[in-house]
Amino acid sequence: MNLYEHTIVARQDTSPAQIKQLTDKYTKIVEKHEGEIVQTEEWGLLNLAYIIKKNRKGSYIHFKIKGSGKIIEELEKNEVIDKNLLRYMTVKVKKFDLEAKYFSKKDEYEKKEYKKDYNRD
Amino acid sequence: MPSKKRAGNKKNKQSNFAKLSIFSPNKYKFKKSCPLSVKGAPEVDYKNIRLLKKYMSENGKILPSRITNVSQKKQRELSLSIKRARNLALI
Repeated sequence: MNLYEHTIVARQDTSPAQIKQLTDKYTKIVEKHEGEIVQTEEWGLLNLAYIIKKNRKGSYIHFKIKGSGKIIEELEKNEVIDKNLLRYMTVKVKKFDLEAKYFSKKDEYEKKEYKKDYNRD
Repeated sequence: MPSKKRAGNKKNKQSNFAKLSIFSPNKYKFKKSCPLSVKGAPEVDYKNIRLLKKYMSENGKILPSRITNVSQKKQRELSLSIKRARNLALI
């Protein structure tokens, strides 16, 4: 059993319903091949650093998968064909850090609060 | 004979000590520790964009380790994770 981090970038004009469909589709594929999804994160619409296929933004979905390498083969086979996706990437990891969230909006709120406090002082 | 030897050793020790006192402080002054291998340093990861941007130029190039003082091991990790982030169009 291996641990993988898998991220997908979808087109900017996908609706939230379509994004849910995508996540469901790929979770089903993982479960079919006896894998386990430890965590799914939605990073939301982010600005792309450069234009990909005339898209300026992309919605990111991040999976943490536990299972064998066959799952990744099957996932990528389906993702190459998928027209809603711009990019995909899998990284093999030794350990998951489930606490660190670099794309949650809470950080921004915290920052704003800090600024407010700073202004008060 | 033994007394002379001792004396010689003492001289050597003194001279060594003198050299150390002259040269060692300079070494420590020029030596800067790697900012990523200190205890409590953040882990290098392709998702941590804020950290990666510190070690890149404004044009998006990776800065050399002789400027940033990152250790060789950490520099390898950095370059790998920067390239991963580039592929996902995060940077």
